[in-house]
Amino acid sequence: MSGSQGMHSPVAQFEIKPLIELSFGGYDLSFTNSSLFMMLAFGVSAAFLISAMRGGTLVPGRMQGLAEMMYEFVAEMVRSNVGHEGRPYFPFIFTLFVFLLFGNLLGLIPYSYTFTSQIVVTFAMAAFVFVGVTLIALLKHGLHFFSFFVPAGAPKVLIPFLIVIEVISYFVRPVSLSVRLFANMLAGHTMLKVFAGLAVMISGAGGLAMAGSLLPFVALIGLTGLEVLVAALQAYVFTILTCMYLNDALHLH
Amino acid sequence: MPMSAKAAGAGLPQLDISTWPSQLFWLVVLFTAGYILMAKVVTPRIGTVLEERRAKLDDDLGKARTASEDAARIRAEYEADLDAARIAAAETAKQAAAEAAKQAEANDAKIAKKLAEKVAKAEAKLAAARSDAMSNLNNVAAEAALAAVVQLADIKTTAAQASKTADKLVAAMAKQEAN
Repeated sequence: MSGSQGMHSPVAQFEIKPLIELSFGGYDLSFTNSSLFMMLAFGVSAAFLISAMRGGTLVPGRMQGLAEMMYEFVAEMVRSNVGHEGRPYFPFIFTLFVFLLFGNLLGLIPYSYTFTSQIVVTFAMAAFVFVGVTLIALLKHGLHFFSFFVPAGAPKVLIPFLIVIEVISYFVRPVSLSVRLFANMLAGHTMLKVFAGLAVMISGAGGLAMAGSLLPFVALIGLTGLEVLVAALQAYVFTILTCMYLNDALHLH
Repeated sequence: MPMSAKAAGAGLPQLDISTWPSQLFWLVVLFTAGYILMAKVVTPRIGTVLEERRAKLDDDLGKARTASEDAARIRAEYEADLDAARIAAAETAKQAAAEAAKQAEANDAKIAKKLAEKVAKAEAKLAAARSDAMSNLNNVAAEAALAAVVQLADIKTTAAQASKTADKLVAAMAKQEAN
């Protein structure tokens, strides 16, 4: 990237670039940079977790301690938010957390791709969670599930309004869940790109302006730290909300 | 390539729906593969290690608890033994003291008896010596009186007669003294 060319579009980083072209039934199913990083998210996390647990010693080393910490973190999240009945869903919750955490963190490496910045990906996951917990609730409670939309102890007059509100809030869940992650990733990465582009552009002017490029550069360093936090936090938020929805489905409030 | 060409032109690449089928397809494929990997390989492995550790800790804690209970029991037994021994020792000491006191008393009595016997014997000896001395004195006095009578009255008398007389006199004197 050179100064004379001007800034790249800060959203160019989100472009999907096919690596292996593939199409089926008229649909483009190419293996893309996004697919590569989905694969890497699982590849890196599984490689780390498996190699860390290779010894499987009674007294864990540093790597094993880290792997166990991750496991315990998710296990505790499921235990405290869903309870004992959440046990069968633990592998899914763990997979979800690992996928999002490694996806978000790997996406912060320069020249990598952040698949969680794609609304279609986050929405697909949120929709899967939404449909999944709704099915679990219907299978477990049958028609009694619909009592979920009637708040207990509310005045009779307010009940029709409250039902409308509850139904809306229920159906908004997948939207808020997916948009939260997508928007955080989109905004964070765009901001990083803007500051990076600014630093490059100012330094491109040469001379004294080189010193001026330090300002966005320092800001970029700070923002990168913030984005690491956001990456971990959003993976956690997505996972814990999934746990809460699962808890609602299993226990109906 | 239509994908990137379109995206570069119009706004956010995220909204380019031509990329969605590929993204969804690979998300489903890779997430399913990842789920199988995590559910079948990764989480059981970590879970097993944690479970083994928990079992080992519980086992060790149980052992420690048993050992601690054993130690407490042995200590209690030891203390009970110690108390019993202390009581027995005190009893023995008391008995020994009593016996010693009894023996000492007996010894005292024996010695006192012996001493009393000795005293009685000595007194008897003394009394004998005294009466001996007294009778000797009577003889001397009789001889002296005889000599004096012979000198004064010029009477010859036998010593035996004089002694008889002296004895008579002594007896009379003793009678007089007793009165």
